[in-house]
Amino acid sequence: MTLLKLDNLKVHFPIRGGFFRRVVDHVKAVDGVSFELQQGETYGLVGESGSGKSTTGKAVVKLNEVTSGQILFEGRDLASLSRREIKPFRKDIQMIFQDPYSSLNPKKRVLDIIAEPLRNFERLSPSEEKKIVQDFLDKVGLSPESIHKYPHEFSGGQRQRIGIARSLTLKPKLIIADEPVSALDVSVQAQVLNFLQDLQQEFNLTYLFVGHDLGVIRHMCDRMGVMYRGRLVEEGKSEEIYENPQHIYTKRLIAAIPDLEPEVREDKVQLRKKLTSEYESTYSKYFDENGRAYDLKPISSTHRVALQ
Amino acid sequence: MEMKVETGKNIQVNDVSPSGIKIIWQEIKKDKLAMGSLIILAAILLFVYGASFFMDAKEIAKVDFLSIYLEPSSDYWLGTDYGGRDVFGQLIIGTRNSFTISLFITLFTAIIGLSLGLLAGYFGGATDNVIMRVIDFVIALPQLMFIIVVVTIVPIFNVYVFILIMTMFLWTGKARLIRSKALSERELDYIHASQTLGTPHWKIILFQLLPNVSSLIIVNFILNLAGNIGLESSLTFLGFGLPESTPSLGTLISYARNPDVLENKWWIWVPASLMILVLMLSINFVGQALKRAADARQRRG
Ligand SMILES: Nc1ncnc2c1ncn2[C@@H]1O[C@H](COP(=O)(O)OP(=O)(O)OP(=O)(O)O)[C@@H](O)[C@H]1O
Ligand SMILES: [Mg+2]
Repeated sequence: MTLLKLDNLKVHFPIRGGFFRRVVDHVKAVDGVSFELQQGETYGLVGESGSGKSTTGKAVVKLNEVTSGQILFEGRDLASLSRREIKPFRKDIQMIFQDPYSSLNPKKRVLDIIAEPLRNFERLSPSEEKKIVQDFLDKVGLSPESIHKYPHEFSGGQRQRIGIARSLTLKPKLIIADEPVSALDVSVQAQVLNFLQDLQQEFNLTYLFVGHDLGVIRHMCDRMGVMYRGRLVEEGKSEEIYENPQHIYTKRLIAAIPDLEPEVREDKVQLRKKLTSEYESTYSKYFDENGRAYDLKPISSTHRVALQ
Repeated sequence: MEMKVETGKNIQVNDVSPSGIKIIWQEIKKDKLAMGSLIILAAILLFVYGASFFMDAKEIAKVDFLSIYLEPSSDYWLGTDYGGRDVFGQLIIGTRNSFTISLFITLFTAIIGLSLGLLAGYFGGATDNVIMRVIDFVIALPQLMFIIVVVTIVPIFNVYVFILIMTMFLWTGKARLIRSKALSERELDYIHASQTLGTPHWKIILFQLLPNVSSLIIVNFILNLAGNIGLESSLTFLGFGLPESTPSLGTLISYARNPDVLENKWWIWVPASLMILVLMLSINFVGQALKRAADARQRRG
């Protein structure tokens, strides 16, 4: 069942300039992106910094104005709803933020942080509320006494768990995870990722997982889309993309993954050189005269690539 | 991970982290100058407000030609002015008036500056544009001329009118300060998080944003309180302050415009000048300690 469907989504930010701060141009942060998320799957968005991954995710939770296109959640177009109309959907779609330091209000206790969504949607007595918060703290592996503490008393990984607990309290269907581990220590990353997978099982969640680390995305995601300059250039099952990349940008992205084994390191260097020359000679196959990627075309039932 | 360092000292507090007021109190206790200032300030204010309660302001403002320019004596502790009025009594009531005026101006400008600053900063865009244009307009008004005009036009120029006019001009700085802080806070993810959690705008502004600008407000409030005592006095000195029937520190100092008073009758203007100096300095010292308390990196351990 399709839970979320983006249809030709565009998010353009105005660039203001000149004397009257008029709009002189637009940053096309997301420029015609379409993909679907099936209920229960994890869909990854990868791409270099500035490619529009976060903007896509934020558009789904209405943190960004949508310029055009549709965001269909269970068949309803979120892009056309007003802030008031969107409120019921807030319960179903939640977000986990990249930076666990800025995503928790430093002046609030953990209890108030995790209970904030509950207070918006449910009428609970303080003791009921406390119980729910403690249950969720337990689920994310923090002690029940944590509720009286402030965010600065926790480590980065623990804070991210608090953020995750907050996003779970309303029992959402879809969670947008914007690089949820990239601010964390490598040793903690795997822990939090596995834990996100456990939660997916338990709560039957669907993830839109944003990241720039292909290793992490491959570990987490059933399918993924590769973004480049606001466009999807390739989409398919994770192993398809990883084992059989078709778009030159995807190939280069995969070749850029650092390798730990010294034997293959030399091969990698050669491969990168080869790809660089291929990129230059076949550029027009992948990008039009404005440097914009073509629309996606299916090359198999699951695999789509932006080719001429 | 580096961000943990500055908060490291809070680790010993296991259940409840130190509240804002506790941190402020600790900071003041560590700073002898601030502590002394606070005690002096409290003593002066207690005395002035207490004593003025028992004084008859009308009696003090009454002209008595038989006792003009008397030197300090046991009858008149600080002598009398050209109208034979007791300077000590005027000093007490004047200090009370000056401080009260400063307090209200600071309070009103804080309320206006805070509301508009938070709105402009949080919503940005068109809201911000409108508020900023209003601020630009107020700043562009020739302040002194405006005050002079109002003083001459208004039939009864009293404390309330004075507070009103000053408030009209002085809120802009606060609004800009709060706006710039709010602008940077709203880009932080905890505000985004609140938005995706379905919290209404007004609740985000009041309960998420406001607590994070509060230290800035407190510090600014205190420093303004000191500044506004001087402000009231300097205008009175220029002759556009309060009428003589309302004693203020500025009225007393303004007598020194007369060279004879300035040279020979020190008891009229020196005590008031000292009072302003002491008040401003001590409020400032307390304010500096608060400023450090508000900024974790500057705290004295
Ligand atoms: N509020 C905004 N106003 C103007 N431009 C913006 C805004 N938000 C993002 N952009 C621009 O849109 C582009 C895409 O940004 P986005 O944050 O989506 O990238 P990203 O793929 O998430 O990158 P990263 O991996 O660094 O997080 C960037 O060029 C950025 O400068
Ligand atoms: Mg991003």
